[in-house]
Amino acid sequence: MAPACPAGRRAVLAAVALAGPRRARATSLAPVRFGLTPVFLESDLALLRALSGHMEAALGTPVELVKRRTYQEVVGLLLAGQLDAAWICGFPYVRHADRLSVLAVPVHRGRPLYQSYLIADPSLRARSLADLRGRSHAFSDPDSNSGCLTTRWLLAGQDLSPATFFGTTFFAYGHRNVVRAVSSGLAESGSVDGYVWETMAETEPGLTSTTDVVARSAWQGFPPVCCLTASRQGAAARGIEATLLGMAASPAGTEILRALRLDGFMPERPSLYDGIRAMSQDLESRA
Amino acid sequence: MRRAGPRRLRVQLDPRHWPLLLTVPLTVAALVAGVATVTGQAVLARMEADQGRHLAALGAAFLDGLATAVQPAAVRADVWEAFDALDRASGQYEALRPTLSVVVLPDGSVLASSSPRVLRTGAALPRSLSGPADQAIASGSPAIDERAGRAVVARVLLEGGVPVGRLVAEADIGALLAERDAVVRTLVLANIGIAALFAAAGALLVRRILLPTERLRQRLLEATQGRRPEPLDAQAGSGPEHLALVNAWNGAVAAIAERDLMAGRLAREEGRAQLGRLTAAMAHEVNNPLGGLMTAVDTLSEYGDRRDIREEAVGLLRRGLDDIRKVVRAGLSSWKTGPGEAPLAAQDFEDLRLLIRHEVSRRGLTLDWRNDLPDGVRVDRTLARQIALNLLLNAAAASPPKGVLSFRAQGLSQGGAVIEVSDVGTGLPADAESLLAAPDGPPPSGGGLGLWTAARLARSQGGRITREPTPRGTRLVAELPVPSHAKEVAHAS
Repeated sequence: MAPACPAGRRAVLAAVALAGPRRARATSLAPVRFGLTPVFLESDLALLRALSGHMEAALGTPVELVKRRTYQEVVGLLLAGQLDAAWICGFPYVRHADRLSVLAVPVHRGRPLYQSYLIADPSLRARSLADLRGRSHAFSDPDSNSGCLTTRWLLAGQDLSPATFFGTTFFAYGHRNVVRAVSSGLAESGSVDGYVWETMAETEPGLTSTTDVVARSAWQGFPPVCCLTASRQGAAARGIEATLLGMAASPAGTEILRALRLDGFMPERPSLYDGIRAMSQDLESRA
Repeated sequence: MRRAGPRRLRVQLDPRHWPLLLTVPLTVAALVAGVATVTGQAVLARMEADQGRHLAALGAAFLDGLATAVQPAAVRADVWEAFDALDRASGQYEALRPTLSVVVLPDGSVLASSSPRVLRTGAALPRSLSGPADQAIASGSPAIDERAGRAVVARVLLEGGVPVGRLVAEADIGALLAERDAVVRTLVLANIGIAALFAAAGALLVRRILLPTERLRQRLLEATQGRRPEPLDAQAGSGPEHLALVNAWNGAVAAIAERDLMAGRLAREEGRAQLGRLTAAMAHEVNNPLGGLMTAVDTLSEYGDRRDIREEAVGLLRRGLDDIRKVVRAGLSSWKTGPGEAPLAAQDFEDLRLLIRHEVSRRGLTLDWRNDLPDGVRVDRTLARQIALNLLLNAAAASPPKGVLSFRAQGLSQGGAVIEVSDVGTGLPADAESLLAAPDGPPPSGGGLGLWTAARLARSQGGRITREPTPRGTRLVAELPVPSHAKEVAHAS
């Protein structure tokens, strides 16, 4: 079940090895705490080691990657000031935009955009959301844009809710878990991050090949790396921002980006998350 | 024959009538198979118990590990967490080979299974699993279904003593059963092989052990077929039993040889005694006319000149010499041929009449003689005459003075001759009659040697002598059939 990308892993581990001396020097300093959510394949431990190694090498300080089961926990840590930055979903960002600032936005296939996918068991031969009525459905996380908000918003547009439209629903707390749930038959359909599904189609085709993509949402802002606005000018935040924005410039960073199927990171662009914000506000107004 | 067939078959099928060469190896094979079966059963029982314990230990380890992982999910009714734990565990217990693991909520519905397509979330646990699961929970050991090749293990998930669900798993025990089947096959094949090996070894051993007995059996068979019993090599025996058997046989052979030697000697003595009696009879028959002849010679020498007296004396001489010639001819007829050289004719018995005339007259007996025997009967004339003469002399000796001695001779319809001799004596003693039934036995220690000799001669010709009922005295009948070789010769001619 673990993601398979041996060539990429070897490359990023080699990059970490090259950054070894600086990392050793950094261990005596206070660590930078960087939060992660399942907006990418955070289950790939080799990739995480490579990422932390690269950041330590770039920052000159120890880097502690912090993972939690839910988006809410990670966002809560970030808002509580216990994380210097976190890679979160666009939905929590727009909900807490008054307190959070975007440090960098991933670029995927040339754009800082991604889609939400509705996937289903191929045996259903579903062609639209309507074909999934009464079926069991796996959401990724309550605070996930692609893994929950988008589908809720689509149903709300028809005056429906997940509880009334689907037979049963549950949260798998991870986009990869949603793909596993649908692939195994635990759920007949699911809401999943399109970027994660496409990446898995390359790294774990055995899982995605047993799912059908029923519908793709409009393009939306890619999950950003955020920090507390209050800490935006701090050394840690600025260091992380610089490391991510310059990642594509170094061989080690390039290897990590290749493993992530990303082109690089870019600064926030105005109105990038307007679509997500609009869906969120629409749902709040309906509540 | 129609009745004898099935009966003979039944006898042949009866194990009590099987030869040792067959029964001993079969018994050895059966014993080996029996021992092997008992030990095999013990091995299988032990193996089954070990497999059961092994399976129970594996099941307990599986449940221990998985229960810890799924219990929080069961408490929260978290479908994904329960599935994730089951899914991850399914590939980590190769020894148990779980095929399906299920977390069941207290209401009996499935929270999650490791194979959602087989058992979906929210479905009721099927009876095929719920029954064995109840059994496994109650017994604390796996519920095994050998026909399906599966075992079900189950455990109640308790949170603070409160049941929050059940963890049920089905394991494929086909490999364990296949291993047991392989052991059974190996045991069966090995047992068959060992039994066959021991049976073959037993057959060879028994054949070797019974070799002296087989030789003895062959000698006995040859003896019953009329061949002279031959001793066995005492060194050929194996073990004291066979040595004793061989020594006993050799002792019997020596005794038989000694008996035959004695019988021959007695027969010769009897022959000589008979010859002596016949010689005396012939001398008497010759002597009778001799007195008249001598008187005639004296008369001729004294009154030979008188024609009437001379003619009377010459007539007396001619009749006396004629009587002597008859007696001499009878003797020549009796002894000029050996056994098996000529067929029997009525005249052969007529000569006997002349030979016993002296004995008859000496005892004052009346001879009732009737000889209806045809000529050319294919029976040995010499032996037949000896049999008849023995019976006549025996009957004469047994007859009281002035008694009647009867003789009858006639041919048999199938060829051969029958001789009947009767007297009016006191009857045949029991020991003498037993001689007729067992002519091959030892010669009598007392009297009756002539009767024993006659019975032996009759048996040697394939005939027999029997005592027939009669109101008074003894009536003996000798049946002398045509010997088989004589029939073959006659048929060929």
